[in-house]
Amino acid sequence: MTTQVNNIGGTPVNPPTILRTHNLAAISVLIGSLALAVYMSGVDPVLAPLWLLGIMAGFTLQRSRFCFASAFRDLFLFGNSKILKGILVGLSISTIGFAINMYGMVPFPNFGVLPSEANILPFGISTIFAGIIFGFGMVISGGCVSGSLYRMAEGYISSWVSIGGVLIGLGLISQSWNWWWTNFISNEEKIWIPSKLDLGYGGAVVVTLSLLFIVFLFLVWWESRVGLSMPDMKRKEEPNDTFNEKLGSIWNTIFVRGWSPIVGGGILGGIVVLMYLSHMPWGVTGELTRWSNNIMTFMNMAPPDALGLSELGGCAGRADESGFFSHTFAVTVGILPGSFIAALFSREFKLRFPQNRKRYIQALGGGVIMGYGAGLAIGCTVGAFFSAVPSLSLSGWLFAASLACGSFIGVQAIKRIS
Amino acid sequence: MELDVRGEICPYPMMKAVEAMKKLEGSDSVVVITDHAPCLETIPPQAGRFGYICEIEETGSPEWKISLIPKGENQE
Repeated sequence: MTTQVNNIGGTPVNPPTILRTHNLAAISVLIGSLALAVYMSGVDPVLAPLWLLGIMAGFTLQRSRFCFASAFRDLFLFGNSKILKGILVGLSISTIGFAINMYGMVPFPNFGVLPSEANILPFGISTIFAGIIFGFGMVISGGCVSGSLYRMAEGYISSWVSIGGVLIGLGLISQSWNWWWTNFISNEEKIWIPSKLDLGYGGAVVVTLSLLFIVFLFLVWWESRVGLSMPDMKRKEEPNDTFNEKLGSIWNTIFVRGWSPIVGGGILGGIVVLMYLSHMPWGVTGELTRWSNNIMTFMNMAPPDALGLSELGGCAGRADESGFFSHTFAVTVGILPGSFIAALFSREFKLRFPQNRKRYIQALGGGVIMGYGAGLAIGCTVGAFFSAVPSLSLSGWLFAASLACGSFIGVQAIKRIS
Repeated sequence: MELDVRGEICPYPMMKAVEAMKKLEGSDSVVVITDHAPCLETIPPQAGRFGYICEIEETGSPEWKISLIPKGENQE
């Protein structure tokens, strides 16, 4: 394979023809996605905004290389907490947005009514176990569920294998869900912070934001202990004088150079609020559960009717939505064109096959474990964490702590897999 | 020393770069060839810990050459 190595003296790295094909492809996908949005709004008016927000989420994930798996993993592996800080920024924004939205639905939180569609999930042994195995699985496979979805569209073959594993894991949990329900989940409480200790929305928001700030201080301390800092690097001077050059520079900032995870986290926080305002918080497990159940039904291995799911919120509770273009489809599958468009504009799209065969096994095995955990937690890093914490559900915090434990175990394992 | 980690995803490129810098202890530079953009964020912060400085060159789409050069050594 030949590559153009010369980037000195202003020789463009990408010949204009490659550039043009990539940009044309990106624009075609964009137009196709918008056409689908128009079609969807005929099926159900709420589908179009959810689909567009899903695309924006995928675009943001790719641009800021926002990876929940590496957020937790790199803390233990190399003391890097950049993406975790981005997550904290996102959660601060969404916590306030969600609280305002939930206030509109349930003005008096201590009457025992939970706001509809909020990701308020059971708090207990199942949350801990699910978080640990999910955290372990995502580190082994190299990405969580949303991370693998956006990398599928960047051309990472191992991410396709991971998602295959996730579908198998979700199938296994569908088959064993009733055992978990009978023995554990049916006895676990859904702890919604505003309804506790007369906290109300104000108190719950203050508690959540304070916890986020404490985590932030912990991260700063952790990083100072390890001694990491981004070195100053010479960046190529871009001409920035004429109108065209200035436009080009803006274009590069948005579409070519990666975004800081802080920016990415903030935008994702805004996107989940808009999703909730449209209908429901962000989650990707529900749609994948639907696929997994459909595949099993097709193979004559239909799972038993899941006990209790209808009384639970969160992702899996939406798995029984009917019709191909469901709400969960919009916010899950939307990630793919969004990330694909971003990868094409930035010329980061490439079919990448792992050279090391072991990676396929890691992707599949990690995916299965992660899928089982996502099904049990009724959501992945997105549904049971990124959408649960702003729903002011205590389960989001327990799941995050368990994720961290699982990632720690996973890191010890991958250090031994070369 | 050259590390061709094309096809590898996080955390392996960073782990291998760190391993190489640890082993070389500044006796040689490490050139990491990668097609995984997140490496541009994860490898540079490691350089300073081992007395290296870092230079990135875009060599394809998508492909980068991350040069880790021992501090004090003459840069070309």
